[in-house]
Amino acid sequence: MNESYAERGYATGGKKSTRAGGVIITTLALLSTFLVIWGLYYATGTGERHKVALAAAGCEPNLLSVNVGCTTVWMLERRYTSITTPAVQQLNTDVAAYTAKERHSLAAAEAALRAEVASASAFDTSLAQFPFPPVVAPMARALIQAIHSRIKLTAEQARSSSLAQLRSFNDRVKAAGAAIQTEMKLVHKALYTRPTVNQEP
Amino acid sequence: MSTTRDYERGPYAREQDLYPAEPDVYPEGSDVYPDSGAYPDDALKTWGDEGELAADHQPRRRWSKCVDEWMDGRIKFGGTGVKRKTAALLLLGAWGFLPLFFMLPSLFTFNTNTIGGSVDDTLGTGAMVNLFMCLLITPVVTLTGQRWFIPLRRWYGIMFACCGIGDALGAAFFDDFAGNPFAKLVEHTFTLIGFLMVLLAIPLFITSNNWAQRKLGRYWKRLQRLTYVIWGLLFFHLATLEGFGFQRGSDGSGFAGDGDAIFHQRLYQYCACSLFLLTVRLPPVKRWIVARQQEGRNRIVFIAVMPIFALFVFGFIFIVNELIFKGTHSFVENPSSE
Repeated sequence: MNESYAERGYATGGKKSTRAGGVIITTLALLSTFLVIWGLYYATGTGERHKVALAAAGCEPNLLSVNVGCTTVWMLERRYTSITTPAVQQLNTDVAAYTAKERHSLAAAEAALRAEVASASAFDTSLAQFPFPPVVAPMARALIQAIHSRIKLTAEQARSSSLAQLRSFNDRVKAAGAAIQTEMKLVHKALYTRPTVNQEP
Repeated sequence: MSTTRDYERGPYAREQDLYPAEPDVYPEGSDVYPDSGAYPDDALKTWGDEGELAADHQPRRRWSKCVDEWMDGRIKFGGTGVKRKTAALLLLGAWGFLPLFFMLPSLFTFNTNTIGGSVDDTLGTGAMVNLFMCLLITPVVTLTGQRWFIPLRRWYGIMFACCGIGDALGAAFFDDFAGNPFAKLVEHTFTLIGFLMVLLAIPLFITSNNWAQRKLGRYWKRLQRLTYVIWGLLFFHLATLEGFGFQRGSDGSGFAGDGDAIFHQRLYQYCACSLFLLTVRLPPVKRWIVARQQEGRNRIVFIAVMPIFALFVFGFIFIVNELIFKGTHSFVENPSSE
């Protein structure tokens, strides 16, 4: 009698103590079932959303990207910025170093110019390897050419034998710099503009 | 066998002693283990342990024990014998190293462009994967009763800490945020929370060895509960990183360019995975699971848990997809611009 009472009591107590767990797990299982089914249903529309996203983002189908099958304008501009921003910062630092020394120390000024040539050459190489879309490619070539001209001029300037000769290059270097800026603006604008249908390759 | 003696001897050194083949001592349906000290409390804990292994003390079902015993068997491998368990642990554990493997080429070549551009994606996502794998061990032990994979908990925990610390170092020295390395780690809310997580992971990493476990005694277990704090902080880290889960145009990790912002939102992935990890840890749910298992109604447990686990898998697939996608880009030193 006592034993069966104890067993019954234990069983009842056990059920009571696990009821909350049962309610929780059932509720969460139902919620999860709904979410998984909704997720699978939503996943069936992936292909269509993919096409819409590519069209909206301005897809360049000739450029490979594993995730979306092509490189979008957004991806391209981020990649372009990741090259130009540090390069321009470095070039500005080199120019500032030259400006600080151009009147005092020929050796230091020439060292700054050589550093500028190295930075500009690296920038030039990065741009030459960049997968510019066909629409932007002519502007990019002009930009690379402008950078190349300035590199030649700066290298020549770095070979000056006096401070006066060194400074005599300044106006021409400045003009070459202005040409680079103009070309960069054109590339930037072209890159950030979605190509029209007849411009697509 | 006294608890103290076992403890002093090193809980991991002789695992066969911890799981002796004594089927009669722990008969099916038995509610508790005999207080023999054969299963010292701390001996079963490893890095990332949550100290809530009450369900581990459920009666070990026959088939679970069979799997554990089978895993202790040896396989012939090139004229020598390797424990099945060792081989399985190596195979399962190797994946934990994957995020660091992806970053190795850029580390060897000191390619700061790749390190700065993708360390947060590759190692950050890798840390998340390892944390979830570490947290997954206890629920799987609870549900299956098997124990042969318990050492993976420590391994995934260590890999989580390595990835997290690597992520913080990469962000501090190579990210394009303004300021000095320390400023880069604390100037945004999400970086500050990430930094806190790394700070908490450091003591766990340092104490993830048998020596520290013996020295710290019962405090070791308390210390390891910091894993829960890290898990909670990860929610806030991702929430502040992702604009609380709301995608704004291309702002947020949900923008992968393929139009599936919901699947790429890391906060949603976190929630999908955490629901399972949290549910099986809730004391009432654990009691319910143990009660059903004692009644021999494992099928009900699996049916109830399966949808929640399916949601975990659903979320986890996208985290792994992110890791492999960003990781392969890092490996070829062409960091993803997505």
